[in-house]
Amino acid sequence: MEVTDQKKERCSVIHIKGRLDTTNYTVLEKKLMELIDRGENRLLVNLSGMDYVSSSGLRILLMALKRITVSNGKFALCSLQENIKEIFEISGFTNIFEIYDTEETAVKSF
Amino acid sequence: MTRSIIRYPAALPYMAHYIHFTDPNSPEMHRFLEGIPTTPGTCFFIDINKSTDLKYLGGLPDWGRKLNNTFNFISLLNDFPDNIVKGIGDEIMLYIPDGELRRKHTFTTYYQLLEEIYSTVDNIRNFPVPEMFLPCKVSIHYCTEVYNITFFKGANDYYGRDIDLTARLMTKAVENRIVLSERFYARVQNDLADLNLPERYGCVGKISGKFMEQFRGVPEITEYRILDA
Repeated sequence: MEVTDQKKERCSVIHIKGRLDTTNYTVLEKKLMELIDRGENRLLVNLSGMDYVSSSGLRILLMALKRITVSNGKFALCSLQENIKEIFEISGFTNIFEIYDTEETAVKSF
Repeated sequence: MTRSIIRYPAALPYMAHYIHFTDPNSPEMHRFLEGIPTTPGTCFFIDINKSTDLKYLGGLPDWGRKLNNTFNFISLLNDFPDNIVKGIGDEIMLYIPDGELRRKHTFTTYYQLLEEIYSTVDNIRNFPVPEMFLPCKVSIHYCTEVYNITFFKGANDYYGRDIDLTARLMTKAVENRIVLSERFYARVQNDLADLNLPERYGCVGKISGKFMEQFRGVPEITEYRILDA
């Protein structure tokens, strides 16, 4: 899995590429927590390149959401692949995350 | 939404040895039973809390919805559907033979399996929308004394003293807690060493010290640990 981040005017955008599971969730955890600890509380995660997520991956996204919500920030997701959308639906995660179809629309929402 | 949305490779054909002899003293039965091999693997029980209370408080639409959501959360997200041996009410028994663990889609080691179960319990505990899921408790044991047998045609099941022990471990579990036998913990530690990861890596860092208990019906003292979400 590859995790990269990019600072934009309205928010920071994190791109995830590959599988997010027990073998690598700590990479994303470290990146998100570093950004949040630095005071970034407007984060967008672009999941267009993520083709699989397990429970441990979902846990990190949930952790980040909770931390950012506490600081009155905004944490959103965008560009989910169809199979990831289905996982989010069945896990109830579509009820708790702001999810956008494209990065462009998502960035405008910040 | 249908339940076919998450597609994993087809399950391996773990078929139980069917035991059915009409003669109670059949010498063939004795020989047949002697020849059945053990099926080492990981057994775990997941018990959904509070569902019994709910049945007295509300109707099927309420408790049925929460059980549906919780069972989906547990089984579909974790590549467990093929490993559910049986469910009794709000408790399910799962068994993953070693040979199958290495071919899984989501996890291939005992450490990864524990991490996924922990994440599931933790996600349910921290889910910000109330009334969506029910909390769980879990017991896990690495089994060697287990036989993939059934006495009922067409059924798949696992019997053996290690299955009984896994059930006993559940007596030490409470809501949002995973109770793991020392034997399973040792497997997790072996995996961490193989992966060149620290002994307290990930959720393993939250596992307690060792407890000992003489469980009912188990002749030896059992060592176990707990992991709270």
